[in-house]
Amino acid sequence: MTGLGVTTAVGQGKTAFADALFAGAQRFAVMRRPGRQAGTRFVGAEIPAFAPTNRLAARELRTVSLTGQVLLATLEEAWTEARLDEVPAERIGLVVGGSNLQQRELTLAQDRHRAKPRFLRPSYGMSFLDTDLCGLATAAFGIRGFAHTVGGASASGQLAVIEAAEAVASGRVDACVAVGALMDLSYWEYLGLNAMGAMAPESCADAPELACRPFDAGRGGFVFGEACGALVVERVGARPAPAEPYAALTGWSVQLDGNRNPNPSLEGEVRAIGQALERARLTAADIDYVNPHGTASPVGDRTEADALLAAGLTRARVNATKSITGHGLTAAGAVEAVAALLQMRHGRLHPTRNLVEPIDDRLRWVRGEAVEAEVGHCLSLSMGFGGINTALCMSKCESRRA
Amino acid sequence: MKSEEILPLIHEAIVEVLPELDGHDFQETDSLDALGANSMDRAEIVMIVLEAMNLEIPLVDTFGPQNLGELARHLADKTAVAR
Repeated sequence: MTGLGVTTAVGQGKTAFADALFAGAQRFAVMRRPGRQAGTRFVGAEIPAFAPTNRLAARELRTVSLTGQVLLATLEEAWTEARLDEVPAERIGLVVGGSNLQQRELTLAQDRHRAKPRFLRPSYGMSFLDTDLCGLATAAFGIRGFAHTVGGASASGQLAVIEAAEAVASGRVDACVAVGALMDLSYWEYLGLNAMGAMAPESCADAPELACRPFDAGRGGFVFGEACGALVVERVGARPAPAEPYAALTGWSVQLDGNRNPNPSLEGEVRAIGQALERARLTAADIDYVNPHGTASPVGDRTEADALLAAGLTRARVNATKSITGHGLTAAGAVEAVAALLQMRHGRLHPTRNLVEPIDDRLRWVRGEAVEAEVGHCLSLSMGFGGINTALCMSKCESRRA
Repeated sequence: MKSEEILPLIHEAIVEVLPELDGHDFQETDSLDALGANSMDRAEIVMIVLEAMNLEIPLVDTFGPQNLGELARHLADKTAVAR
Protein backbone atom coordinates (compact mmCIF):
# COMPACT_ATOMS: atom_id res chain seq x y z
CA MET A 1 0.00 0.00 0.00
CA THR A 2 2.02 2.84 -1.39
CA GLY A 3 -0.20 5.91 -1.52
CA LEU A 4 -2.93 7.39 0.66
CA GLY A 5 -5.37 10.23 0.17
CA VAL A 6 -8.01 11.46 2.57
CA THR A 7 -10.55 14.25 2.85
CA THR A 8 -12.75 14.61 5.93
CA ALA A 9 -14.52 17.34 7.84
CA VAL A 10 -11.61 17.50 10.31
CA GLY A 11 -8.92 17.81 7.66
CA GLN A 12 -7.93 17.47 4.00
CA GLY A 13 -4.77 15.53 3.34
CA LYS A 14 -2.80 13.07 5.46
CA THR A 15 -0.96 15.66 7.56
CA ALA A 16 -4.04 17.63 8.59
CA PHE A 17 -6.02 14.42 9.08
CA ALA A 18 -3.37 12.77 11.26
CA ASP A 19 -3.06 15.95 13.37
CA ALA A 20 -6.85 16.01 13.82
CA LEU A 21 -6.94 12.32 14.76
CA PHE A 22 -4.24 12.59 17.40
CA ALA A 23 -5.81 15.77 18.82
CA GLY A 24 -9.26 14.17 18.90
CA ALA A 25 -10.67 17.05 16.85
CA GLN A 26 -14.28 17.25 15.69
CA ARG A 27 -16.51 19.34 13.45
CA PHE A 28 -19.99 18.14 14.33
CA ALA A 29 -22.75 20.69 13.93
CA VAL A 30 -26.28 21.08 12.64
CA MET A 31 -25.66 20.52 8.91
CA ARG A 32 -25.90 23.51 6.58
CA ARG A 33 -25.24 22.23 3.08
CA PRO A 34 -28.27 22.84 0.81
CA GLY A 35 -30.46 19.74 0.59
CA ARG A 36 -29.54 18.33 4.02
CA GLN A 37 -32.47 19.50 6.14
CA ALA A 38 -36.24 19.39 5.74
CA GLY A 39 -37.31 21.51 8.69
CA THR A 40 -35.01 19.24 10.69
CA ARG A 41 -31.87 19.81 12.79
CA PHE A 42 -29.79 16.84 11.71
CA VAL A 43 -26.25 16.84 13.05
CA GLY A 44 -23.27 15.81 10.95
CA ALA A 45 -19.69 16.71 10.07
CA GLU A 46 -19.45 18.63 6.79
CA ILE A 47 -16.23 19.24 4.87
CA PRO A 48 -15.36 22.94 4.90
CA ALA A 49 -13.81 24.54 1.79
CA PHE A 50 -11.24 22.17 0.30
CA ALA A 51 -8.52 22.44 -2.34
CA PRO A 52 -9.81 20.94 -5.60
CA THR A 53 -7.72 19.07 -8.16
CA ASN A 54 -6.19 21.17 -10.93
CA ARG A 55 -6.71 18.37 -13.45
CA LEU A 56 -10.11 19.70 -14.52
CA ALA A 57 -10.94 22.89 -16.41
CA ALA A 58 -13.63 25.21 -15.03
CA ARG A 59 -16.05 24.01 -17.74
CA GLU A 60 -15.64 20.42 -16.59
CA LEU A 61 -16.11 21.28 -12.91
CA ARG A 62 -19.53 22.81 -13.57
CA THR A 63 -21.22 19.43 -13.88
CA VAL A 64 -19.07 17.58 -11.31
CA SER A 65 -20.84 16.77 -8.04
CA LEU A 66 -19.38 17.33 -4.58
CA THR A 67 -18.74 13.57 -4.46
CA GLY A 68 -16.78 13.84 -7.72
CA GLN A 69 -14.76 16.88 -6.71
CA VAL A 70 -13.78 15.37 -3.36
CA LEU A 71 -12.96 12.07 -5.08
CA LEU A 72 -10.61 13.77 -7.55
CA ALA A 73 -8.85 15.79 -4.85
CA THR A 74 -8.42 12.70 -2.66
CA LEU A 75 -7.28 10.50 -5.54
CA GLU A 76 -4.73 13.17 -6.51
CA GLU A 77 -3.06 12.90 -3.10
CA ALA A 78 -2.78 9.10 -3.22
CA TRP A 79 -1.74 9.10 -6.89
CA THR A 80 1.03 11.64 -6.35
CA GLU A 81 2.40 9.88 -3.28
CA ALA A 82 2.51 6.51 -5.05
CA ARG A 83 3.99 8.15 -8.19
CA LEU A 84 1.44 6.37 -10.39
CA ASP A 85 2.45 8.56 -13.35
CA GLU A 86 5.40 6.13 -13.59
CA VAL A 87 3.11 3.11 -14.07
CA PRO A 88 1.75 2.36 -17.57
CA ALA A 89 -1.86 3.58 -17.77
CA GLU A 90 -3.02 0.15 -19.03
CA ARG A 91 -1.68 -1.44 -15.84
CA ILE A 92 -3.62 0.78 -13.43
CA GLY A 93 -7.14 0.04 -12.17
CA LEU A 94 -9.69 1.98 -10.15
CA VAL A 95 -12.37 0.66 -7.81
CA VAL A 96 -14.82 3.22 -6.47
CA GLY A 97 -16.57 1.97 -3.33
CA GLY A 98 -20.18 3.04 -2.91
CA SER A 99 -23.54 3.26 -4.63
CA ASN A 100 -26.24 5.96 -4.70
CA LEU A 101 -23.46 8.40 -3.94
CA GLN A 102 -24.79 11.73 -5.22
CA GLN A 103 -28.31 11.78 -3.82
CA ARG A 104 -28.20 15.34 -2.43
CA GLU A 105 -27.34 16.93 -5.75
CA LEU A 106 -29.92 14.78 -7.56
CA THR A 107 -32.53 15.94 -5.04
CA LEU A 108 -31.53 19.58 -5.60
CA ALA A 109 -31.79 19.14 -9.39
CA GLN A 110 -35.18 17.45 -9.05
CA ASP A 111 -36.45 20.15 -6.70
CA ARG A 112 -35.24 22.86 -9.11
CA HIS A 113 -37.09 21.34 -12.06
CA ARG A 114 -40.14 19.86 -10.38
CA ALA A 115 -42.48 22.46 -11.91
CA LYS A 116 -40.81 22.29 -15.34
CA PRO A 117 -39.33 18.80 -15.67
CA ARG A 118 -38.79 19.01 -19.43
CA PHE A 119 -36.01 21.54 -18.85
CA LEU A 120 -33.99 19.14 -16.69
CA ARG A 121 -30.34 19.47 -17.74
CA PRO A 122 -29.11 16.77 -20.13
CA SER A 123 -26.04 16.27 -17.91
CA TYR A 124 -28.38 14.74 -15.29
CA GLY A 125 -28.66 11.75 -17.64
CA MET A 126 -24.95 11.14 -17.20
CA SER A 127 -24.29 12.29 -13.66
CA PHE A 128 -27.04 10.31 -11.92
CA LEU A 129 -24.95 7.20 -12.52
CA ASP A 130 -22.33 6.47 -9.88
CA THR A 131 -20.12 5.21 -12.69
CA ASP A 132 -19.87 8.80 -13.93
CA LEU A 133 -17.29 9.09 -11.12
CA CYS A 134 -15.23 6.36 -12.82
CA GLY A 135 -15.42 8.17 -16.15
CA LEU A 136 -14.46 11.43 -14.51
CA ALA A 137 -11.48 9.96 -12.66
CA THR A 138 -10.17 7.85 -15.52
CA ALA A 139 -10.35 10.88 -17.85
CA ALA A 140 -8.60 13.15 -15.33
CA PHE A 141 -5.84 10.65 -14.47
CA GLY A 142 -5.59 8.76 -17.77
CA ILE A 143 -6.36 5.37 -16.18
CA ARG A 144 -6.72 2.67 -18.86
CA GLY A 145 -6.67 -0.64 -16.97
CA PHE A 146 -10.22 -0.94 -15.64
CA ALA A 147 -12.62 1.02 -13.48
CA HIS A 148 -15.90 0.17 -11.81
CA THR A 149 -17.88 0.79 -8.66
CA VAL A 150 -18.62 -1.72 -5.90
CA GLY A 151 -21.57 -1.37 -3.56
CA GLY A 152 -21.48 -2.77 -0.06
CA ALA A 153 -23.38 -0.17 1.97
CA SER A 154 -21.18 0.97 4.88
CA ALA A 155 -18.60 -1.68 3.97
CA SER A 156 -18.19 -0.23 0.44
CA GLY A 157 -14.87 1.49 1.13
CA GLN A 158 -13.30 -1.63 2.54
CA LEU A 159 -14.85 -3.72 -0.21
CA ALA A 160 -13.11 -1.43 -2.73
CA VAL A 161 -9.76 -2.10 -1.02
CA ILE A 162 -10.45 -5.83 -1.18
CA GLU A 163 -11.43 -5.69 -4.88
CA ALA A 164 -8.27 -3.69 -5.60
CA ALA A 165 -6.18 -6.27 -3.73
CA GLU A 166 -7.78 -9.11 -5.72
CA ALA A 167 -7.18 -7.28 -9.01
CA VAL A 168 -3.52 -6.76 -8.17
CA ALA A 169 -3.05 -10.28 -6.79
CA SER A 170 -4.56 -11.85 -9.92
CA GLY A 171 -2.25 -9.86 -12.21
CA ARG A 172 -5.14 -8.07 -13.89
CA VAL A 173 -3.31 -4.79 -13.18
CA ASP A 174 -0.05 -3.89 -11.42
CA ALA A 175 -1.49 -1.07 -9.33
CA CYS A 176 -5.04 -0.32 -8.32
CA VAL A 177 -6.55 2.65 -6.53
CA ALA A 178 -9.37 1.90 -4.10
CA VAL A 179 -11.61 4.81 -3.22
CA GLY A 180 -14.26 4.98 -0.53
CA ALA A 181 -16.39 7.69 -2.11
CA LEU A 182 -18.20 10.46 -0.27
CA MET A 183 -21.85 9.50 0.15
CA ASP A 184 -23.67 12.78 -0.28
CA LEU A 185 -26.90 12.20 1.65
CA SER A 186 -29.94 14.33 0.91
CA TYR A 187 -32.56 14.97 3.56
CA TRP A 188 -34.50 12.02 2.11
CA GLU A 189 -31.80 9.46 2.91
CA TYR A 190 -31.20 11.07 6.29
CA LEU A 191 -34.94 10.96 7.03
CA GLY A 192 -35.05 7.28 6.05
CA LEU A 193 -32.05 6.33 8.17
CA ASN A 194 -33.45 8.42 11.00
CA ALA A 195 -36.90 6.81 10.73
CA MET A 196 -35.40 3.32 10.89
CA GLY A 197 -33.65 4.30 14.12
CA ALA A 198 -30.09 4.14 12.80
CA MET A 199 -29.17 7.75 13.54
CA ALA A 200 -28.41 9.54 16.78
CA PRO A 201 -31.56 11.42 17.85
CA GLU A 202 -32.23 14.89 16.48
CA SER A 203 -32.09 16.27 20.03
CA CYS A 204 -28.29 15.91 19.73
CA ALA A 205 -28.40 19.26 17.92
CA ASP A 206 -28.28 20.91 21.34
CA ALA A 207 -24.76 19.52 21.93
CA PRO A 208 -23.43 18.29 18.55
CA GLU A 209 -19.92 17.59 19.85
CA LEU A 210 -21.35 14.97 22.23
CA ALA A 211 -23.57 13.25 19.64
CA CYS A 212 -21.15 10.67 18.24
CA ARG A 213 -20.10 8.23 21.00
CA PRO A 214 -18.97 4.83 19.70
CA PHE A 215 -18.73 2.08 22.33
CA ASP A 216 -19.95 4.43 25.07
CA ALA A 217 -22.88 3.44 27.25
CA GLY A 218 -24.64 6.67 26.23
CA ARG A 219 -24.39 6.09 22.47
CA GLY A 220 -27.50 6.73 20.40
CA GLY A 221 -26.72 5.83 16.79
CA PHE A 222 -24.76 7.04 13.74
CA VAL A 223 -23.76 10.63 13.16
CA PHE A 224 -23.04 11.27 9.50
CA GLY A 225 -19.67 12.66 8.41
CA GLU A 226 -18.65 13.63 4.89
CA ALA A 227 -15.45 11.86 3.94
CA CYS A 228 -13.47 10.19 1.19
CA GLY A 229 -10.42 7.93 1.34
CA ALA A 230 -8.11 6.59 -1.37
CA LEU A 231 -5.48 3.86 -1.13
CA VAL A 232 -3.06 2.63 -3.77
CA VAL A 233 -2.48 -1.12 -3.71
CA GLU A 234 0.43 -2.51 -5.74
CA ARG A 235 1.80 -5.99 -6.31
CA VAL A 236 5.20 -6.47 -4.70
CA GLY A 237 7.85 -6.53 -7.42
CA ALA A 238 5.66 -5.04 -10.16
CA ARG A 239 8.07 -2.12 -10.55
CA PRO A 240 11.66 -1.72 -9.47
CA ALA A 241 11.33 1.30 -7.17
CA PRO A 242 7.81 1.92 -5.85
CA ALA A 243 7.11 4.55 -3.21
CA GLU A 244 7.90 3.52 0.38
CA PRO A 245 4.96 1.29 1.36
CA TYR A 246 2.90 2.05 4.46
CA ALA A 247 2.21 -1.61 5.03
CA ALA A 248 1.52 -4.90 3.32
CA LEU A 249 -2.10 -5.96 2.95
CA THR A 250 -1.63 -9.43 4.39
CA GLY A 251 -5.20 -10.59 4.84
CA TRP A 252 -8.75 -9.79 3.92
CA SER A 253 -12.19 -11.31 4.06
CA VAL A 254 -15.77 -10.74 2.94
CA GLN A 255 -18.40 -12.73 4.81
CA LEU A 256 -22.16 -12.56 4.34
CA ASP A 257 -24.95 -13.29 6.79
CA GLY A 258 -27.64 -14.12 4.23
CA ASN A 259 -29.67 -11.32 5.76
CA ARG A 260 -31.36 -8.45 3.98
CA ASN A 261 -31.87 -6.42 7.15
CA PRO A 262 -29.56 -3.91 8.84
CA ASN A 263 -28.95 -5.95 11.99
CA PRO A 264 -25.41 -7.21 12.61
CA SER A 265 -24.28 -10.77 13.21
CA LEU A 266 -21.74 -11.84 15.80
CA GLU A 267 -21.10 -15.05 13.89
CA GLY A 268 -20.49 -13.21 10.59
CA GLU A 269 -18.11 -10.71 12.17
CA VAL A 270 -16.13 -13.44 13.91
CA ARG A 271 -15.86 -15.35 10.63
CA ALA A 272 -14.55 -12.26 8.79
CA ILE A 273 -11.92 -11.63 11.48
CA GLY A 274 -10.92 -15.29 11.50
CA GLN A 275 -10.53 -15.56 7.76
CA ALA A 276 -8.51 -12.35 7.46
CA LEU A 277 -6.16 -13.58 10.20
CA GLU A 278 -5.86 -16.99 8.60
CA ARG A 279 -5.03 -15.49 5.23
CA ALA A 280 -2.36 -13.32 6.90
CA ARG A 281 -1.08 -16.43 8.76
CA LEU A 282 -1.50 -14.62 12.06
CA THR A 283 -3.39 -15.24 15.27
CA ALA A 284 -5.39 -12.79 17.36
CA ALA A 285 -2.44 -12.54 19.75
CA ASP A 286 -0.30 -11.04 16.95
CA ILE A 287 -2.66 -8.09 16.44
CA ASP A 288 -1.49 -4.88 18.10
CA TYR A 289 -4.34 -2.61 17.06
CA VAL A 290 -7.93 -2.92 15.84
CA ASN A 291 -9.71 -0.15 13.98
CA PRO A 292 -13.31 -1.35 14.44
CA HIS A 293 -16.41 -0.36 12.51
CA GLY A 294 -17.69 1.33 15.73
CA THR A 295 -20.61 3.41 14.47
CA ALA A 296 -22.20 4.18 17.86
CA SER A 297 -25.16 2.00 16.91
CA PRO A 298 -26.46 0.49 20.17
CA VAL A 299 -26.74 -3.07 18.83
CA GLY A 300 -23.89 -2.73 16.30
CA ASP A 301 -21.26 -1.70 18.85
CA ARG A 302 -22.36 -4.34 21.35
CA THR A 303 -22.17 -7.05 18.68
CA GLU A 304 -18.76 -5.84 17.48
CA ALA A 305 -17.32 -5.73 21.01
CA ASP A 306 -18.56 -9.29 21.49
CA ALA A 307 -16.96 -10.29 18.17
CA LEU A 308 -13.58 -8.83 19.18
CA LEU A 309 -13.77 -10.75 22.45
CA ALA A 310 -14.89 -13.96 20.76
CA ALA A 311 -12.00 -13.64 18.30
CA GLY A 312 -9.56 -13.28 21.21
CA LEU A 313 -8.48 -9.72 20.37
CA THR A 314 -7.92 -8.79 24.01
CA ARG A 315 -4.25 -7.76 23.64
CA ALA A 316 -4.88 -5.25 20.85
CA ARG A 317 -5.55 -1.57 21.48
CA VAL A 318 -8.91 -0.37 20.10
CA ASN A 319 -10.16 3.12 19.21
CA ALA A 320 -13.01 4.41 17.04
CA THR A 321 -12.21 6.77 14.16
CA LYS A 322 -15.89 7.61 13.63
CA SER A 323 -15.90 9.42 17.00
CA ILE A 324 -13.76 12.04 15.21
CA THR A 325 -14.89 11.88 11.56
CA GLY A 326 -18.51 10.81 11.93
CA HIS A 327 -19.83 7.91 9.86
CA GLY A 328 -18.75 8.29 6.25
CA LEU A 329 -21.01 5.36 5.21
CA THR A 330 -19.58 4.30 1.81
CA ALA A 331 -16.33 6.15 2.57
CA ALA A 332 -15.85 4.76 6.07
CA GLY A 333 -13.91 1.58 5.29
CA ALA A 334 -11.35 3.40 3.14
CA VAL A 335 -10.98 6.39 5.49
CA GLU A 336 -10.47 4.04 8.44
CA ALA A 337 -7.88 1.96 6.56
CA VAL A 338 -6.06 5.26 5.90
CA ALA A 339 -6.41 6.16 9.60
CA ALA A 340 -4.99 2.78 10.62
CA LEU A 341 -2.00 3.12 8.28
CA LEU A 342 -1.24 6.67 9.42
CA GLN A 343 -1.34 5.57 13.06
CA MET A 344 0.92 2.64 12.22
CA ARG A 345 3.45 4.93 10.55
CA HIS A 346 3.38 7.51 13.36
CA GLY A 347 3.53 4.86 16.11
CA ARG A 348 0.61 6.58 17.83
CA LEU A 349 -3.04 5.72 18.34
CA HIS A 350 -5.70 8.39 18.36
CA PRO A 351 -8.16 8.90 21.24
CA THR A 352 -11.82 7.91 21.03
CA ARG A 353 -14.00 10.94 21.59
CA ASN A 354 -16.86 10.70 24.07
CA LEU A 355 -15.84 7.26 25.31
CA VAL A 356 -16.70 8.06 28.92
CA GLU A 357 -18.23 4.76 29.99
CA PRO A 358 -17.01 1.93 27.73
CA ILE A 359 -19.55 -0.82 27.13
CA ASP A 360 -16.95 -3.48 27.87
CA ASP A 361 -13.91 -3.32 30.17
CA ARG A 362 -12.26 -6.38 28.67
CA LEU A 363 -11.15 -4.49 25.54
CA ARG A 364 -8.13 -2.15 25.61
CA TRP A 365 -9.67 1.15 24.53
CA VAL A 366 -7.69 4.27 23.66
CA ARG A 367 -9.84 6.91 25.29
CA GLY A 368 -9.03 10.51 26.26
CA GLU A 369 -5.52 11.04 24.84
CA ALA A 370 -3.44 9.69 21.98
CA VAL A 371 -0.98 6.99 23.06
CA GLU A 372 2.37 5.83 21.70
CA ALA A 373 2.14 2.32 20.31
CA GLU A 374 4.29 0.17 18.06
CA VAL A 375 1.86 -1.44 15.62
CA GLY A 376 3.23 -4.35 13.63
CA HIS A 377 -0.10 -5.88 12.63
CA CYS A 378 -3.55 -4.33 12.67
CA LEU A 379 -7.10 -5.19 11.71
CA SER A 380 -9.68 -2.85 10.24
CA LEU A 381 -13.33 -3.93 10.18
CA SER A 382 -16.43 -2.81 8.29
CA MET A 383 -20.04 -3.91 8.26
CA GLY A 384 -22.83 -2.99 5.90
CA PHE A 385 -26.63 -3.25 5.91
CA GLY A 386 -27.66 -6.45 4.18
CA GLY A 387 -25.42 -8.77 6.16
CA ILE A 388 -21.99 -7.68 4.90
CA ASN A 389 -18.92 -8.19 7.10
CA THR A 390 -15.41 -7.33 5.88
CA ALA A 391 -11.98 -7.35 7.50
CA LEU A 392 -8.52 -6.18 6.44
CA CYS A 393 -5.25 -7.21 8.02
CA MET A 394 -2.34 -4.83 7.43
CA SER A 395 1.21 -5.52 8.51
CA LYS A 396 4.35 -3.41 8.64
CA CYS A 397 6.57 -4.64 5.85
CA GLU A 398 9.36 -5.66 8.26
CA SER A 399 6.78 -7.54 10.39
CA ARG A 400 5.53 -9.52 7.43
CA ARG A 401 5.86 -13.25 7.71
CA ALA A 402 7.02 -15.35 4.77
CA MET B 1 -39.66 35.75 -29.70
CA LYS B 2 -37.33 37.33 -32.27
CA SER B 3 -33.93 35.88 -33.12
CA GLU B 4 -32.24 39.14 -32.00
CA GLU B 5 -33.74 38.54 -28.53
CA ILE B 6 -32.68 34.90 -28.52
CA LEU B 7 -29.03 35.50 -29.45
CA PRO B 8 -28.09 37.09 -26.08
CA LEU B 9 -29.71 34.11 -24.31
CA ILE B 10 -27.55 31.79 -26.40
CA HIS B 11 -24.43 33.80 -25.54
CA GLU B 12 -25.24 33.66 -21.82
CA ALA B 13 -25.86 29.92 -21.97
CA ILE B 14 -22.56 29.34 -23.79
CA VAL B 15 -20.64 31.28 -21.13
CA GLU B 16 -22.42 29.33 -18.38
CA VAL B 17 -21.34 26.03 -19.91
CA LEU B 18 -17.97 27.17 -21.30
CA PRO B 19 -16.79 29.79 -18.77
CA GLU B 20 -13.51 30.30 -20.65
CA LEU B 21 -15.54 32.12 -23.34
CA ASP B 22 -16.52 34.90 -20.92
CA GLY B 23 -15.90 38.17 -22.80
CA HIS B 24 -15.80 36.45 -26.21
CA ASP B 25 -17.15 38.56 -29.09
CA PHE B 26 -19.78 36.11 -30.39
CA GLN B 27 -20.63 36.21 -34.10
CA GLU B 28 -23.74 34.74 -35.74
CA THR B 29 -21.39 32.67 -37.88
CA ASP B 30 -19.72 31.05 -34.84
CA SER B 31 -20.53 27.36 -34.56
CA LEU B 32 -20.79 25.68 -31.16
CA ASP B 33 -18.37 23.06 -32.43
CA ALA B 34 -15.74 25.67 -33.33
CA LEU B 35 -16.28 27.38 -29.96
CA GLY B 36 -15.17 24.14 -28.30
CA ALA B 37 -18.50 22.61 -27.27
CA ASN B 38 -18.76 18.82 -27.33
CA SER B 39 -22.10 17.08 -27.81
CA MET B 40 -22.98 17.15 -24.10
CA ASP B 41 -22.03 20.84 -23.87
CA ARG B 42 -24.24 21.56 -26.87
CA ALA B 43 -27.21 19.78 -25.29
CA GLU B 44 -26.69 21.70 -22.02
CA ILE B 45 -26.44 25.04 -23.82
CA VAL B 46 -29.58 24.48 -25.87
CA MET B 47 -31.56 23.28 -22.82
CA ILE B 48 -30.54 26.38 -20.85
CA VAL B 49 -31.76 28.56 -23.76
CA LEU B 50 -35.03 26.63 -24.06
CA GLU B 51 -35.68 27.10 -20.33
CA ALA B 52 -34.89 30.82 -20.58
CA MET B 53 -37.40 31.04 -23.47
CA ASN B 54 -39.87 28.73 -21.70
CA LEU B 55 -40.05 26.83 -25.00
CA GLU B 56 -40.96 23.17 -24.50
CA ILE B 57 -39.74 21.32 -27.57
CA PRO B 58 -37.73 18.10 -27.82
CA LEU B 59 -33.98 18.69 -27.95
CA VAL B 60 -33.86 16.61 -31.13
CA ASP B 61 -35.83 19.40 -32.88
CA THR B 62 -32.86 21.75 -32.37
CA PHE B 63 -30.27 19.60 -34.16
CA GLY B 64 -30.31 21.17 -37.67
CA PRO B 65 -28.72 24.65 -37.27
CA GLN B 66 -25.00 24.93 -38.02
CA ASN B 67 -24.17 28.22 -36.27
CA LEU B 68 -25.48 30.60 -33.60
CA GLY B 69 -27.44 32.76 -36.04
CA GLU B 70 -29.16 29.73 -37.57
CA LEU B 71 -29.94 28.38 -34.08
CA ALA B 72 -31.50 31.70 -33.00
CA ARG B 73 -33.63 31.89 -36.15
CA HIS B 74 -34.63 28.23 -35.83
CA LEU B 75 -35.76 28.77 -32.22
CA ALA B 76 -37.58 31.97 -33.25
CA ASP B 77 -39.48 29.93 -35.87
CA LYS B 78 -40.35 27.34 -33.22
CA THR B 79 -41.82 30.00 -30.92
CA ALA B 80 -43.94 31.24 -33.83
CA VAL B 81 -45.25 27.70 -34.34
CA ALA B 82 -45.75 27.16 -30.60
CA ARG B 83 -47.99 30.22 -30.49
